[in-house]
Amino acid sequence: MSEKVKHIEEHGCNCQPELKSDDIKTVVSQVVAKCGREKDKVIPVLQELQKRLNYIPSEALKEICRLTEITPGQISGVSTFYSQFRHIPAGKHIIKICAGTACHVKGSGLITEAFRRELKLDETTSTSADGLFSIEEVACLGCCTLAPVVQIDGKTYGHVKSTQAAEILYDFINTGKHQKDLHQEVAPDVYDAEVRIGLGSCCVAGGSREILSRLFEVKEAYDLNIKLKPVGCVGVCNQTPLLEIVMNDSTHHRYTNVKIVQVEDILLKHIKPGKFGKRLIYRINDFADSFVHEGKLNSPINLPGEKREEFLNNFLSYQVHIATQQSGILTPDSLDEYILLGGFEALKKVLRQSDKSEIADIILESGLRGRGGAGFPTGKKWKIFSESPGSPKYVVCNGDEGDPGAFMDRMLLESFPFRVIEGMMIAGFATGASEGIFYIRAEYPLAVSRVSNALKICYERGMLGDNILNTTFSFNITIFEGAGAFVCGEETALIASLEGKRGTPILRPPYPAVQGFREKPTLVNNVETLSLVPWIINNGPEAFSSIGTEKSKGTKVFALAGKVARGGLIEVPMGITIRDIVEKIGYGVGDGRTFKAVQIGGPSGGCIPASMADTPIDYEELSRMGAMMGSGGLVVLDDTDCMVDMTKYFLTFTHKQSCGKCTFCRVGTRRMLDILTLLSQGKADMKEIDELEKLSFEVRNGSLCGLGKTAPNPLITGLKYFREEFEAHARGYCPARKCRDLIKYVVNDKCTGCTKCSQDCPVGAIPFSPYEIHVIDQDLCIKCDNCRITCPEDAIEIVNIADVHKNQ
Amino acid sequence: MYIKINNIEFHASEGETVLDVARRAGISIPTLCHKDGVEHYSSCMVCLVRDRRNNSYIPSCSALVQEGMDIDASGDDVKELRRKAVELLLLEHRAECEAPCRVVCPAAYDIPRMNRLLSAGRFREAVDLIVSELATPEIRCLTCGAYCENACRRKKIDTPISIRNIRLFIFDKIKEEKLFSGSAAGSDARYSAKEELKNRFSSRTGKLNDAELRQWLKECDGMSERYRDITSFEQASSEAESCMHCDCRAAGNCALRAVAEDLSLKDPAGKLVNSPIKKKINKNTGLIFENAKCIKCGLCVRVCEDSNDEPALCFINRGFVSIISEPLTAEFDDILASQARKAVEVCPTGALSFIEKT
Repeated sequence: MSEKVKHIEEHGCNCQPELKSDDIKTVVSQVVAKCGREKDKVIPVLQELQKRLNYIPSEALKEICRLTEITPGQISGVSTFYSQFRHIPAGKHIIKICAGTACHVKGSGLITEAFRRELKLDETTSTSADGLFSIEEVACLGCCTLAPVVQIDGKTYGHVKSTQAAEILYDFINTGKHQKDLHQEVAPDVYDAEVRIGLGSCCVAGGSREILSRLFEVKEAYDLNIKLKPVGCVGVCNQTPLLEIVMNDSTHHRYTNVKIVQVEDILLKHIKPGKFGKRLIYRINDFADSFVHEGKLNSPINLPGEKREEFLNNFLSYQVHIATQQSGILTPDSLDEYILLGGFEALKKVLRQSDKSEIADIILESGLRGRGGAGFPTGKKWKIFSESPGSPKYVVCNGDEGDPGAFMDRMLLESFPFRVIEGMMIAGFATGASEGIFYIRAEYPLAVSRVSNALKICYERGMLGDNILNTTFSFNITIFEGAGAFVCGEETALIASLEGKRGTPILRPPYPAVQGFREKPTLVNNVETLSLVPWIINNGPEAFSSIGTEKSKGTKVFALAGKVARGGLIEVPMGITIRDIVEKIGYGVGDGRTFKAVQIGGPSGGCIPASMADTPIDYEELSRMGAMMGSGGLVVLDDTDCMVDMTKYFLTFTHKQSCGKCTFCRVGTRRMLDILTLLSQGKADMKEIDELEKLSFEVRNGSLCGLGKTAPNPLITGLKYFREEFEAHARGYCPARKCRDLIKYVVNDKCTGCTKCSQDCPVGAIPFSPYEIHVIDQDLCIKCDNCRITCPEDAIEIVNIADVHKNQ
Repeated sequence: MYIKINNIEFHASEGETVLDVARRAGISIPTLCHKDGVEHYSSCMVCLVRDRRNNSYIPSCSALVQEGMDIDASGDDVKELRRKAVELLLLEHRAECEAPCRVVCPAAYDIPRMNRLLSAGRFREAVDLIVSELATPEIRCLTCGAYCENACRRKKIDTPISIRNIRLFIFDKIKEEKLFSGSAAGSDARYSAKEELKNRFSSRTGKLNDAELRQWLKECDGMSERYRDITSFEQASSEAESCMHCDCRAAGNCALRAVAEDLSLKDPAGKLVNSPIKKKINKNTGLIFENAKCIKCGLCVRVCEDSNDEPALCFINRGFVSIISEPLTAEFDDILASQARKAVEVCPTGALSFIEKT
């Protein structure tokens, strides 16, 4: 093997000379040996190849065709359809800039521009000249509460400002990229306290891994008799990292936003050091510290518990945890603990059931509807599926959550893998299926590894495979990683992708429940749907149906983000009003702003104005208002958010994610986007707004699948509730002062001439003039927002160009 | 089972599509991406019908019949939505049905065909063509301001084809050899030919950039000598070699054009550019692919078998920028060695055709 391949394998980059043809052949043959030769292995083969070579050279494609049943047309179609695959080498480090909804409303566009400027990239390139960094805009990193978010090789930076690009790159290069591996520690049998730390993606992004390693250090240093316990997502994502100490007497102490420097104090406040000597050292240090750190008294550690936890309790008290039951308690990787806390009881219960069809009846009776968005009754789907002839039958867990601004499926898979597995097995048993497939987005590496680990454990312990729990029930589960196509959330497209095809939907019927994967009956259920199943079996259908509204039962998990004081992942009963979510759980919009609307359901949903916020959340109510439950993104907007901009944002997304098969979705969304772009530039008039409206209904009626049919929803609701805002743009005026072609930055007389803005301006549009009111050269200004962020005096204002002209 | 189409009940069998039943019943539904015997795909949405039970619009070509179906296949709303589908397809169809020279010609003479016959050395046929177009003993070109040359796309590259002089030279030959019997159809004939052309649906390319314009050069021999004055057939032939073949090879049998005419559509303004115009010519089979004409129906992909020995066409990319292409592992010259004709025959537009010079 040449230096090149070795280098790539070690560094995962392509900064060395060209790959040699022999090396490519060697790698391809290894990949094929590992993944298989069948046509439907094309996606795993490409994924594995890219993992090893950093990109997919065309010579490798040829070699794959030579060695497998995969044909040239198929591999070309597939490798260019899914966005995961690269045909040109990427830089050594990948900078992922989140373009999810929450990040968008908090200015991710400006951040992308800032990084591009910093790396001196032009419009056509995305890799820096030195091959060190590549920029990628990703649909959602699932850290909405830390928006805007930038991730470099797995290291996440939250609340990024556009002035920080250089700083972040510097920090990245100068700190160790590789986290210290935390070996699984053996917990003592008897301990003084259990210390829990959340390790969901958001928590990790918030720095909880660093906190965990600090916990280890402190534990060692003082010889504390504690059990350190990593747990899944707690849902309080905006307050991460979250630390919980459970004492032997069952008292809880919770700390939010924990900093590394506080770890020692927090632990020692509640737990006594083990050895006398260490205790003494602690006493002395503590005494000395009390003179040094004045701030210590004000730190949250010294606040009384009830004050510290007030918000937390409010945040949690309006929620009902079913899918997220035992959140913050359960260690995601521990089957023992899951079983100890009642896990797999539901499976055992159904396995004893003599009449399998009763299980589907229970689900039907509970009123559970698909949580993927459309809300089809789950029990009914199970019945249709179980009555369909054919063998084997497949149960697919749809974890291809690609909606920008929604990350509940990721959280459920990361935090409760065993619960989803149990739900899937119950579905399989109830319907006579023998094969289960997890379809999980490749962008969720933690979810993939947690689930595959959980599956491994289940197989080892006889919970999966043949004759489960000594019954006649046999069930196998595999994982399939999606390759980056939002449309694959649609069940027929998902199946196409499982079969190694381009992810294009087909018309239903035939429904997958009758004829799906490999032409066999296939039950596709969403992650959240499946994770509700064990609870329903354990607690009975009445318990579930007693929660919620007449037609929408149970709970729904939402990712609450955007312009809300306290965002996070919440599970609320159906029927709760939007206002309760925003004001009681989310603590309302930030300082001095007004609550304008909520965007529910992401690109398939719509914006519901604040005036209608008392509407209860339920499938019918939401669609009546033109929105949609969707997958459960809930992004709060305030008066600085522009509806034209929001609509344009979502259409950009759906247009990019359209599979391109049917005319209305492929060309219609493009036409709508073009008009919206003109509108945001003040170049469209009322006639075009009318065309837009007409077109939105035509695309809704004429598209083939759910993606196209719902793509116009943001526009339809936008025009329905905020028409005057669209019309204002036609007059060249952006009321929220967001659309950059219609606004400009000016300096008001609060300016003290501190020159900070001048120093931060990347294009030199503000001359350096100390102690004088600064002036922005409008011809040079690129509206990057840096000056406004930097200004300590609020002296930089955004004004509508149309206004300025009117006043002159 | 029975299903209702336009309020009339028809017998239908399990597994049939709504289109199958409608066609059997003589109800006409336009289609573009559908072909009998080929796996259905439902991309063009020109065959939309409305299911009255839930007011949803479904593509009849892949909608399987269901008990109790109540289909509206001819309502105004259905037609309106079909019109929109075709209009959207035309928005990305950056192509010309007729060559600019012919469109501006007051007599609608078939100039591109004349050029092709000449450049192929088929002088007799070229003469016959012009004779057949003569409506009066005098050719119109004598008194015409040569709008054709003004419109000639070649003008934007170097100089227009010397169309007027070519025609006048041939006309002189016709007079010399008294090939024209004199029993002219009358000037009305050319007038009606012109009217007919005007009334036909005609698509336009919209704005072209320089690189795109040069794609048309691929269709002509770059080596041939240019002549402004034409004094021999050889000169005419050489000059005609430089004609860029702006008219569409499928002008007479284009399904998209036919549907557009049936639905009385006009070519929409503001064409959308999904990728730059690129003409690909397969040197081995003479297959030519013009991407901007493609409506992504995928018929060519579905009818031809793809293998390592004979790579076929395939879709690449996703969404608005998805397009038919040779596989990434093959050159355009090396695809469809034996199946090119199948692909051309099935193409509903002029995106795929053979480069033969007639």
